[in-house]
Amino acid sequence: MTFASLVERLYAVTEAWGLPWIVPTLVVMTIVAAVILGYIAVAAMFLIWWERKISAHIQVRFGPMRVGGWHGWAQSIADGIKLLLKEDVIPAGADKVVFVLAPMVVFAAALAAYVTIPWAPGLIVRDLNIGILYMVAISSLVVVGIIMAGWSSNNKYSVLGAMRSAAQAVSYEVPLVLSLLGPVMIAGTMSMGKLVEAQGGRWFGFLPKWFVFPQIVAFLVYFTCALAECNRLPFDIPEAESELVAGFHVEYSGMRFAIFFLAEYANMFVVAAIATTMFLGGWHGPWFPLPGLPREVAQGLFGLFWFLVKCYVLIFVMMWLRWTLARLRVDQLMDFAWKVLLPIAFANLIVTGLVLVLGKQALLYVLGIAIVLLVAIALAARAVGRPVRVGKA
Amino acid sequence: MEREKPIPIGTTAVMERTGETMEEMYVNMGPQHPSTHGVLRLLLKLDGEYIIDCVPFIGYLHRCHEKIGENRNYTQIIPYTDRLDYLASMSMNFGYVLTVERLMGVKVPERAEHMRVILAELQRIASHLLWLATFGLDLGNFTIFIYCFREREMVLDLFEAVSGQRLNYSFYRIGGMPMDFPDTWIDDCKAFLDWFKQRLPEYDALMGDNVLFQKRVQGVGAIDPKLAVDYGLSGPMIRSCGIRWDLRRNDPYSVYDRFEFEIPVFDTCDVWARYMVRRQEMAESARIVEQALAQLPAGDIMAKMPKNIRPPAGQVYCRTESPRGELGFYIISNGSVKPYRYKVRSPAYVNLSALPEMLKGCLVADVVAVLGSVDIVLGEIDR
Amino acid sequence: MTLKLGIFYFLAAFTVWAAAVVVLGKNIVRAAVALIFSFCGMAALYVLLDAEFLAAVQVLIYVGGITILLLFAIMLTSRIGAKAARVINDQAFLSGIAAVGLLAGLIYASTFGIGAMAGPPRLPETAPFLGRALLTTYALPFEVVSVLLLAALVGAIILARKE
Repeated sequence: MTFASLVERLYAVTEAWGLPWIVPTLVVMTIVAAVILGYIAVAAMFLIWWERKISAHIQVRFGPMRVGGWHGWAQSIADGIKLLLKEDVIPAGADKVVFVLAPMVVFAAALAAYVTIPWAPGLIVRDLNIGILYMVAISSLVVVGIIMAGWSSNNKYSVLGAMRSAAQAVSYEVPLVLSLLGPVMIAGTMSMGKLVEAQGGRWFGFLPKWFVFPQIVAFLVYFTCALAECNRLPFDIPEAESELVAGFHVEYSGMRFAIFFLAEYANMFVVAAIATTMFLGGWHGPWFPLPGLPREVAQGLFGLFWFLVKCYVLIFVMMWLRWTLARLRVDQLMDFAWKVLLPIAFANLIVTGLVLVLGKQALLYVLGIAIVLLVAIALAARAVGRPVRVGKA
Repeated sequence: MEREKPIPIGTTAVMERTGETMEEMYVNMGPQHPSTHGVLRLLLKLDGEYIIDCVPFIGYLHRCHEKIGENRNYTQIIPYTDRLDYLASMSMNFGYVLTVERLMGVKVPERAEHMRVILAELQRIASHLLWLATFGLDLGNFTIFIYCFREREMVLDLFEAVSGQRLNYSFYRIGGMPMDFPDTWIDDCKAFLDWFKQRLPEYDALMGDNVLFQKRVQGVGAIDPKLAVDYGLSGPMIRSCGIRWDLRRNDPYSVYDRFEFEIPVFDTCDVWARYMVRRQEMAESARIVEQALAQLPAGDIMAKMPKNIRPPAGQVYCRTESPRGELGFYIISNGSVKPYRYKVRSPAYVNLSALPEMLKGCLVADVVAVLGSVDIVLGEIDR
Repeated sequence: MTLKLGIFYFLAAFTVWAAAVVVLGKNIVRAAVALIFSFCGMAALYVLLDAEFLAAVQVLIYVGGITILLLFAIMLTSRIGAKAARVINDQAFLSGIAAVGLLAGLIYASTFGIGAMAGPPRLPETAPFLGRALLTTYALPFEVVSVLLLAALVGAIILARKE
């Protein structure tokens, strides 16, 4: 019993009602969207709580401890209720239509990207054949929503924050897409489901054929660009509370702010899911048949488990980085994207293409890692600089 | 037929009224702002992201300190000096009582002198810890804030044990100290110093050695050393310009000349140099406290003082090295129990006046870094 | 009325409405936002025509790049939001004639012209075919376009540089 057969059953049930042709389609689509939305809501609430706990433990504190009893697990629920009950303030002089529309655009873009996430073997809402391209395209809609939010707030700081955010997102999109092209070239397809299937099996019996091994540089570039797309530290200038520009969502309060917040965590999960799919082997992982369940179901359940574990490990790393590092300035950020990440991504693409055309797959692993790592280290060391104590005492 | 009715939405409508363009925009930072460290208003003139000019507006915390001083007797002024630089109350007290003692020609007992130095240097550590915490926080490093405050809490516990207060101690008296150290205080202090010495490399690993932090502060907010001297900068600001000037060495007061300590001086004149100077100063202050504890003699803590402090007529200017720079007290006495004129030379006030120079050519994001590196406290600036 | 036709009518109406807001709207920022919606509508129409790669690229480039550029230009132009944008310009009569003529031409072409052409081939996936075509049959235009883009990039940098 796979996801596809579940959906077929739903169709059969709804068509048996005998209503016009559009009803079964709408009903099934609504149910699937509701399931995804439910997952996003629960996952975002969990992630918010988890972030507070992680940040607390890094900072020698405890984090939420009381709400709900055990380590404050109900803190996010309480915060959500609080935000729902707040007064809805629209600043005077703000463009009402665009102001109201902006969080919706941001959240819709974050939600729409969940269509092609391969949760488990056979468990994808729709395995589009342009899967990864679709996800990247939808993620670029988030930037539009941010600009709308900043402009419509009738606040100089919001506009500046929105422009910076847009410039940062657009700049980091280019190395992001280029770094994703490496695995696409190796697998020969853009479909997310097929990309995961191409990473099955093992080399020499123990090394999984995940794309992170031949494409380690692409993975690192992708992860850095993903942090920038999510506006997380060290790239969180657009949202920085202690900077002069207070951020593009400064005028949003209550539920509208909650939507932005939710969209940020949903986006984090999407980005981690893309990284897992493209580089970490997706839902591949050790599994064994469970008693009483058919093989496909057991495989599906284990696949889902491994997929979520890998995603949340990546999210943990993102949170860890946020609470350890300082912030980059806007011009340093742009420098880094255009002068360091972009050449590295191009180098990776060229070497991958060369090796795919000229040599065997095995050569890909050796040569790919060697050359691109060299280029990457050289560029990064020159442009980024090593820690040094300047000035004499 | 087109209608000329303006649509009052969006930012450009505001700028239409004030005549600003994107090339020359006025932006206010403060007086309520998480990074101005107090009620300070900075009017920035921006060209896109670059700062053309900066005008600081102060006075939001003015409490008529000097005028009040003219209507209180000399001992009653001591609690008011706490509230000047509330993050370095011991240093403020120290400077003030030293001034009055110099005016009266009083000799303070040895034990009291050592106690003063110990508490002043611990206060320097606490003040620099808070500076480091807020500086890191402004630059986006949330964790160092908690780490530094953990150590600062230990110092505050020590101060609470000795004076009963966590922030505004009023612990120094004209002629000595009011109370001796409690029973286990010296051991607690030694334990704190041992713990603190291991923390400094931790701060380096978290922030100082991190490339991102270094890129934010190196080369930013530089000021020409000659200009720095002309402005009258002092403390870590002047020592970050390559000029070796520390009142504890160049104009020694109390018993500082008995201790061995280095004066950290860095020569790049930018925010990075000021960070390095203050970080080194914390290590040196720990050294001084250790030596003072070792050399602490037994004896009285208070000299023989009359009931009413009545300095002879005359004037005195006495300067000490507070964590922010040269703190000066100028008192004119007319022989009565209240000063005729009481003036405070605030180091942060003078350091802040050089901010427009330091911000020329900086980006907007550098304002927080540079302002943080000046280490201002509005209580002292506004008095 | 099949599902596909129904969806087409809905999307077409949405795109045309958004385009109307762009053309007739007085508030320039709202016009830019409506432009985003019309581009998204176009992308959906491409999907209906089985050109899914083109649809994704439309969203990525047009919405994720060009409209953002447009919004930047609007925000960086001083005092642009203070006055209502002009909807009717001075050459209303001439442009009305041209619009009517274009409409007549399009109606003629769609009833007699395009209908006579063969339909597009039903491809399982357009991306590999596009890729191969771009690098073999249409390699020269592909390279020329990339040179053109480079020229535009250099020109933009030179224009925007401060002296």
